[in-house]
Amino acid sequence: MSSTSDFKFRQSQQDIISYRRGLMGVAAVPGAGKTFTLSHLAAALVQELTQRSFKTEREVLIVTFTNSAVNSFKNRIASILQNERGLLPYTGYRVRTLHGLAHDIVRERPALVGLSEDFRIIDERVSFAIQNDAISAQLPRWRSKFEWYIDPDLDDKRRNRVLIRDLPLLLEGIVRQVISRAKSNRILPTALLERVYDAGDEFVLLQFAASVYADYQRSLAYRGAVDFDDLVRLAIEAIETDDKFLKRLRDKWPYILEDEAQDSSRLQEEMLTLLSDNKNWVRVGDPNQAINTTFTTADAKFLRDFLARNDVRSQPLQTSGRSAPKIIAVANQLMHWATTSHPVPELKQAFFPQDIQPTLPGDVQQNPPDDEANVYIHPDDRVLSPDEELGLVVNNLKRWLADNPNQTVAVLVPENSRGFKVAEQLRALNIEFEELLRSSSETRQTAQVLQIIIEYLSDPRRSLKLSAVYRMVWLRYLSDLYAHADDDGKAVAQELQKSLAKLTALEEVLAPSDDDWQQGLRVDDLPAEWKEDFEQFLALVRRWLDAIDLPIDQLLLTIGGDIFFTPVDIALTYKIAAVLKGIARENPSYRLAQFVEELRRISQNERRFIGFDDVEHGYEPRPNIVTISTMHAAKGLEWDRVYLMSVNNYSFPSALPSDDYISEKWFVRDKLNLEAETLAQLDAVLDKTMRKYREGDASIMSRIDNAAERLRLLYVGITRAKRELVITWNTGRFAEKGGRHVKRPALPIVSLLEVQNAASSQ
Amino acid sequence: MKTIGLRGAYGTGKTTASITRLMSLLQAGVSASSILVLVPQRTLASPYQLALIDSPVPNSAAVDIVTVGGLAQRTISRFWPLIAPEAGFHSINEPTFLTIETAQYHMAQFVDKVIDSGRFDSIAVARPRLIAQSLDNLSKASINGFSLEEVAGRLIQAWCGHSSREMVYEAWLEVAHLFRNYCLEHNLLDFSLQIDVFIQNALQLPPISDYINARYQHLLADNIEEQAPVGLDFIRWLWPSLESAWLAMDEDAGFRIFLGASPDGAERLLSLCDEQQTLTHSFTESPAMQALEVAVINAFYEDELPELQHNPLEAFSFAYHAFYPQMLDWACEKVVHLVQNEGVAPRDIVILAPFLNDSLRFSVMNTLSSHNIPIVSHRPSRPIREEQAARAMLTLMQLVNPYEVQLPPPADVTNALTVLIADLDPIRARLLTEIVYGSGRAELGSFEVINSDMQSRITFVAGERYERLRQWLVSQRTDVAQTPPDHFLRQLFGDIASQTGFGLQQNYEAAAVISQMVDSASAFRHSLYPDGTEDWSPVWQLYRELVTDGLLAAFHAPSWQQESANTVFIAPAYTYLMRNRPVKHQIWLDVGSVSWSERLDQPLTHPYVVRRDYPDQRIWTDEDEEATSWQALFRVVVGLIRRCETQIHLGIADLGEQGYEQRGPLLHLFQQILQVYDEGIGAE
Repeated sequence: MSSTSDFKFRQSQQDIISYRRGLMGVAAVPGAGKTFTLSHLAAALVQELTQRSFKTEREVLIVTFTNSAVNSFKNRIASILQNERGLLPYTGYRVRTLHGLAHDIVRERPALVGLSEDFRIIDERVSFAIQNDAISAQLPRWRSKFEWYIDPDLDDKRRNRVLIRDLPLLLEGIVRQVISRAKSNRILPTALLERVYDAGDEFVLLQFAASVYADYQRSLAYRGAVDFDDLVRLAIEAIETDDKFLKRLRDKWPYILEDEAQDSSRLQEEMLTLLSDNKNWVRVGDPNQAINTTFTTADAKFLRDFLARNDVRSQPLQTSGRSAPKIIAVANQLMHWATTSHPVPELKQAFFPQDIQPTLPGDVQQNPPDDEANVYIHPDDRVLSPDEELGLVVNNLKRWLADNPNQTVAVLVPENSRGFKVAEQLRALNIEFEELLRSSSETRQTAQVLQIIIEYLSDPRRSLKLSAVYRMVWLRYLSDLYAHADDDGKAVAQELQKSLAKLTALEEVLAPSDDDWQQGLRVDDLPAEWKEDFEQFLALVRRWLDAIDLPIDQLLLTIGGDIFFTPVDIALTYKIAAVLKGIARENPSYRLAQFVEELRRISQNERRFIGFDDVEHGYEPRPNIVTISTMHAAKGLEWDRVYLMSVNNYSFPSALPSDDYISEKWFVRDKLNLEAETLAQLDAVLDKTMRKYREGDASIMSRIDNAAERLRLLYVGITRAKRELVITWNTGRFAEKGGRHVKRPALPIVSLLEVQNAASSQ
Repeated sequence: MKTIGLRGAYGTGKTTASITRLMSLLQAGVSASSILVLVPQRTLASPYQLALIDSPVPNSAAVDIVTVGGLAQRTISRFWPLIAPEAGFHSINEPTFLTIETAQYHMAQFVDKVIDSGRFDSIAVARPRLIAQSLDNLSKASINGFSLEEVAGRLIQAWCGHSSREMVYEAWLEVAHLFRNYCLEHNLLDFSLQIDVFIQNALQLPPISDYINARYQHLLADNIEEQAPVGLDFIRWLWPSLESAWLAMDEDAGFRIFLGASPDGAERLLSLCDEQQTLTHSFTESPAMQALEVAVINAFYEDELPELQHNPLEAFSFAYHAFYPQMLDWACEKVVHLVQNEGVAPRDIVILAPFLNDSLRFSVMNTLSSHNIPIVSHRPSRPIREEQAARAMLTLMQLVNPYEVQLPPPADVTNALTVLIADLDPIRARLLTEIVYGSGRAELGSFEVINSDMQSRITFVAGERYERLRQWLVSQRTDVAQTPPDHFLRQLFGDIASQTGFGLQQNYEAAAVISQMVDSASAFRHSLYPDGTEDWSPVWQLYRELVTDGLLAAFHAPSWQQESANTVFIAPAYTYLMRNRPVKHQIWLDVGSVSWSERLDQPLTHPYVVRRDYPDQRIWTDEDEEATSWQALFRVVVGLIRRCETQIHLGIADLGEQGYEQRGPLLHLFQQILQVYDEGIGAE
């Protein structure tokens, strides 16, 4: 959406931008210009905050969900302040994720919450490693108690395998969830252990998780470290402990704007309630796009309850110019069907009853016209295997790309694994694509460049490795000469690289005894400019060799400072350095060779950064390049044409008896979802007078929560399309086993097909 | 008795006046040994030491220039048999004075007990920090004259949060008593016990008090604003017996308040003097710099900034960068430009940052060295294992010691060879390691037996040096059991590493590191094995492991050794402030960082609550926190401005070294000054 100064705001947007005080709730439909409106509101409020002295600096605080949104907001607001309001950019406001905000608060007064000023924040990798160590240490004492949960029909051999191989994996997930939930309830191990040991044998999983929690927390304390969940918990503790600290922060942040409020959690709400003092707080979100709620502490009910409050001014943003009316109709139909006709009564609450409305005539962002629009839902009677579905989509895509070179397109899948298959096919057909699966391509690329360099430095005798640095780092990113070289020039560079790769005595080039590296390289008649270019390369490598003994994070920062010039790369280098620093602390015996392996994992996608969102940089789809993404990662983005794949009752269950659930393990008796059961036990223990735990209830409830979220995920997928929408489904990987293994189209698309068929027959 | 109190801001010539006073006493025939020059820290003694070296008066060296701690230790040593029974030591056998590191070593056992009992569970502080903070509380008790109970009581009374913290403070008290009793039992004196024994026992014993009173007739105390209360108490104690006293105070300093300095107490002491002098004229600041100082003072304490005769904006420039490395490049370019284009002497430039991390230090030093601009760095108090030279020594220690089960990894041996053998590049070092220390080898192989192609690749020069090193190590291997670790380190440095052809020859920074390491190993040995041991090899291993874990041997860079050398200086801002040396150009890095005003936060102790000036029973709140943080920032900024003659160059990076957005108060301060005085002067 345009952000030029002559843009005419819609009335609904104008109403929000003119807000100056009180509580306001904004339920915004997809494509309603939420970020745009919120940025303008933030800029208007920054102007309200006249600064008198540097000691009483006040800021508009914007809290959002992802780091990419932080960057996007920061830059948009800066641009509005500078270009439309004539103010200094980047001052008078602060954009943070919840964790970023918590970090700001804790860093101001660490001792208040029992931390030193040099406290460490450990990432997912280290956190899981500590938890897993604790699980391994405790498990032998507990294993026999867990047999009660194993399916009694399993033979002894399978049973043993489950106890040794599958159960520990399941326990890792359970422990993670329990620790996270306990921290979100701000209950520490000692208190939890006290309560849980009186709870009886049926609480054995929770007892186990609480014991591991105690070990884990002790390990963190010993390291002077906290995890991301602690950070938020401690920030609240800090402002509750010293009311003058809270008052100072309230004075500092007189306005709080909360974006993506449908993903708010109990702790986020608690923190913002405290900071805003329930005064100037604007919460913006789309309850229908709440897709992060299963097994996280996020819950759209916080936003929905807020919107329903009497003291909250509700300002919906319902008009959207993103999609063609035909596509809007599909999204609205889905919402209406679920709200009125879903066979599972509880799922009628899955959506917030709010229609998307197309723009009115004269609106600056008109919806794409219906005559350019198209919706295709693969019929429920035309069965496709997963491979057939893939073939159908990819072939269709190939034809479409040829006819539409200026348009954008995405293939959206429910899980990463399906995305990898799509990527494989597109690669085979030489179709250009970008993927937003797990870690971003930017992370991987940055890590890969660092990996190439560290790999060389870990054994600087290896000429092949150095030639890789020359080709993949120097020529690709740093050499101006190469960037502007003609074919002859490029041939010289190739020749240089080949000579480098063949060398047996690299020291004669990098540290020649007679200062003549050219002789060492055995290349004659090198043009002067290429000689100079290569000398610069050698000087850089020598500098890195001099730095070889620095701690790994400092070495990476040094190298990053030499080779990266774009904000994204530099920021990612920081983060990779921080992750490796954490790993180094946990593994003092690690040397460069081991860090190469860690970098390889990051660059090959095996390692996610938690707390750091993968996509740092606002992703911009490019015409004629296919985006492959999970539906989750596609939130906030839009394409001309969108394929939604694998929309069957496995990926999109509807809480019906015939559906299967990933969280219900095959080896657990009675289709219990043990993660859900343990969390329910935790809730019961925390809330001892209010609730009573009954085995099985939580597993059923979890199905409903899961189905509700999947409905909203489908809604998110549909609303990514501007002009064309293609929805397909398949029979699942195990269809040949027959029976319930044969998957069917997801119930919601069956209903959409019915509406379509009815409309066409009319 | 003639008593003079001298006050003035930095740069007004107080130390020069004090030295003049010292010289005039000597020239008037006052016995040098009757003069006591008292300084709050050892580095501040150097102007006096240098002046005495140049003094024409015979026997000037007998002037005593000490800190209170130094005087305490010397007195205790001299009068130990008298003091020991009075102070409750179990025997009069020779005492052992603990360094910070050896004190930490002994303290660890008591802290570990409390950790294991779970009583430190409500705070998340790494073990080494818990040990350090436990000792810190003891030191604070002694420099303020508090009992251990009073320290715990103050911490508990000032705490506003959850009651679990009280248990933590009580647990500390138990640790402190156990440690103190252990020291008394084993004749060990950490810093706190030295001070306590000196003040509470030694000075109360007539033979000792008579001796001190008789000896010191003339007192010169400089930088009394940085003295701890115990130092000021000592001056008061000495006062009646003095013939003359000269007290000098920097009015706006007090940089060590968080370490226990008491500027208010100093002020009260100064008022005892019969004659008061104030120095006002600044020798260093340009008119624009003075205007900047006025603007900054007003920004802190007034609502409006005043109109000024000179534009403060002429005293500084700033450069805004999105990322940290860009800011470092800018700083280097700035130095190169100043030196090469404007003819500024390197010694007239300092580069300052709130912290000096490895990457910053390496990048800046490496870049400036490549432009042939000399530069030295100073980072006080960092673990010695972070120094390359120290790591090389530790690797060889591990390699030589037959008691060690595990051998050092080849990568460490390569690094050690690169560091220790002059002109050996990392590629040849790696090659050499691969051959002489390949798989299956338990010790280094000989260069002489490897094939001649490889020999020539590694070069015979490097090979010959390596061979000398190797043979020396082989000769040591059999003697490990009989050699204390510090002896080995000293010999390795003296016999090999500092010799021609080896990497530490004329490397003064490395020499300082090794010297400190030898001292720490020696203190460790004396403290743990005062009577020696039959086999030193397990002690080698223990020492090496403790250093590697960061628990032993911090590198407290002893002084700015190249003080007079013509080099650019790069250091943390506080470190630079404690040097009394102005420069023409200051480059401030990371101006947006919040660390410029942040104090060290330590849950187990509190730098302000455990001070004599802090009211008893008062709860420490965020208002106090904020006030002290503004005060600290004020002191740093004004202190730095007063040490700059020509221009301050501000480097700003939107994202700091850790990738966090930088919006600290120092940045806001300069933004306010820019907005008020801006007449079209923009960023670089």
